[in-house]
Amino acid sequence: MITLSSYLMISLALFLSGLVVMIARKNIIAILLGIELILNSAALNFAAYTRFVNQNIEGHIVSLFIIVIAAAEAAVGLGIVIRFFQMRESIHIDDAAQLQS
Amino acid sequence: MAMKYLVSLGHYVPELLACLTMFGLILVEAAQEKGAKSKPLVGATAFLGLIATFVILCLNLSKPGVSIFTNSIVIDSFGTFIKIIMVLGTLGAIYIANQSNDIYQGLKSEFSIMAVGVLVGGMLLTSANNMLLLYIGLETLSILSYVMASLKKNDERSGEAGLKYSLYGGISAGIMLFGMSHIFGVLGTINFSEMAPLLAEISGDKALILIPSFLLFFVGLGYKIACVPFHMWSPDVYEGSPLPVTTFFSIVPKLAGMAVIARLTMVLFNNSGIVSVSWLGALSVIAALTMTIGNISAIGQRSVKRMLAYSSIGHAGVMLLGIVVVSEIGLRSLLFYGFTYLFMTLVAFYIVSFVNDKYGNDHFERFSGLINKHPIMAISMIIVMFSLAGIPPLSGFVAKFNIFSAVIAKKYYVLALVAGINSVISLYYYMKIVRLMVFKTSESDELIGGLTLRNQIIIGALTVPVVTLGIFWEKVIGVVTSATLMIQ
Repeated sequence: MITLSSYLMISLALFLSGLVVMIARKNIIAILLGIELILNSAALNFAAYTRFVNQNIEGHIVSLFIIVIAAAEAAVGLGIVIRFFQMRESIHIDDAAQLQS
Repeated sequence: MAMKYLVSLGHYVPELLACLTMFGLILVEAAQEKGAKSKPLVGATAFLGLIATFVILCLNLSKPGVSIFTNSIVIDSFGTFIKIIMVLGTLGAIYIANQSNDIYQGLKSEFSIMAVGVLVGGMLLTSANNMLLLYIGLETLSILSYVMASLKKNDERSGEAGLKYSLYGGISAGIMLFGMSHIFGVLGTINFSEMAPLLAEISGDKALILIPSFLLFFVGLGYKIACVPFHMWSPDVYEGSPLPVTTFFSIVPKLAGMAVIARLTMVLFNNSGIVSVSWLGALSVIAALTMTIGNISAIGQRSVKRMLAYSSIGHAGVMLLGIVVVSEIGLRSLLFYGFTYLFMTLVAFYIVSFVNDKYGNDHFERFSGLINKHPIMAISMIIVMFSLAGIPPLSGFVAKFNIFSAVIAKKYYVLALVAGINSVISLYYYMKIVRLMVFKTSESDELIGGLTLRNQIIIGALTVPVVTLGIFWEKVIGVVTSATLMIQ
């Protein structure tokens, strides 16, 4: 029997692994992937809470919107990364350290 | 049902006008000849659209608050006043962008398009009454801001600023959503006004989930107003972005974030439940930290733009104080603070923009001896610096005074003390630039180009409110007093 707590556990695991990816990995693309993991954990939470607890449709709508907006954000993020790569020939986060005084 | 939506649309004219302006700008830009040197039509469209929005907003200011679109958006005079400030800020930033060399000639119309887009997002955020609209508004604001930060295409610093902004932004938006999902799970609704009665009597296990969830929720909002500890992106992004973009960032997203935090606090946490106590406690600690760290970090900076970035973090802390007190007086002083902050920021960045265009950077030494070369500019800068530091009789003093009196009326003496000490610290770095301009001789006698009579008049005209708002402030306070936040 799959219960609410299993969904919550999975989403917590997704969230934590997203955070770890963002802190530990130095590759910008990997960091963007970490952001996606976090957004998906939130979307999963919304869907699970709607299914098991609240029974109103609001949660489903929010998770749909999260998917759409995450795609838009990833598109802009990747565009900026490509621009950065063209200038520095690197996608290593430590190369983005010019703006520190 | 259809009628209801038509009535709702009637209350939503300013936002629709801003959207129309954005579409109009895209069309006009597409119709222009390729490689045209200047595009007067684009500027005229932006100006007309924003002025029309401004006029409608001013007319709406005296109307009572309503909730529209099946209670997902609240139009009240508090939000309308914030929107007025944001429209004026956008207008100013677009004008500075047209004057500045920091934005490539071919990208000036793109700047206007995206600035109006961010404005639309900010308006949505200001009046959002449920978590979904809050998220959509925040992302409209953020996604366009990432592009704006990296608008200077071939500049490495600008690209880096955009990269940092988008990474930090994505992370904090994700964390905010995770918090939201648990709030939704526990309370069973995404609507703020439906949450409020439920929150007042929460205790036990549910509070244990809700308190961390609301803190996670605050991460996304705190990142938008750049408060400590979510401020790390702000100096880098402010320094790397082109100057008009920095001007824009320090006004529009910041005020939109302030407005939404104010609305949340007034609607959800206006009770003595355990969740409210923790939220307000966290908020006051964050406000004190924001002021202190912002002001102390500003001291050692070389670049004036970076100094202004840190000082705007400090100002965000003071504005948060107006929210922490959870009272009408606090909100009023927050609005007045925002209004004066708009003019001070515009003048300061406009002047820095000229210096930056002339020398290619904006280090403090570039300002030395400015008073001999350009008296009007230097005197305006001096007035603005005194006002930012909060010296009477300028408007910055009245704004700070209002906030302090709201804090003291609530007997939060420690916060008031911290804010007072911070005013003194900020005086140090604001006076540094005044000292350089007045007492130090310039390296060369070369004048700064581009300072036509028109620009000098505009600088002067923008400085006038900084002075007059400090002397004749009862009038504005009268307008602000009528601006209340609607709580259902």
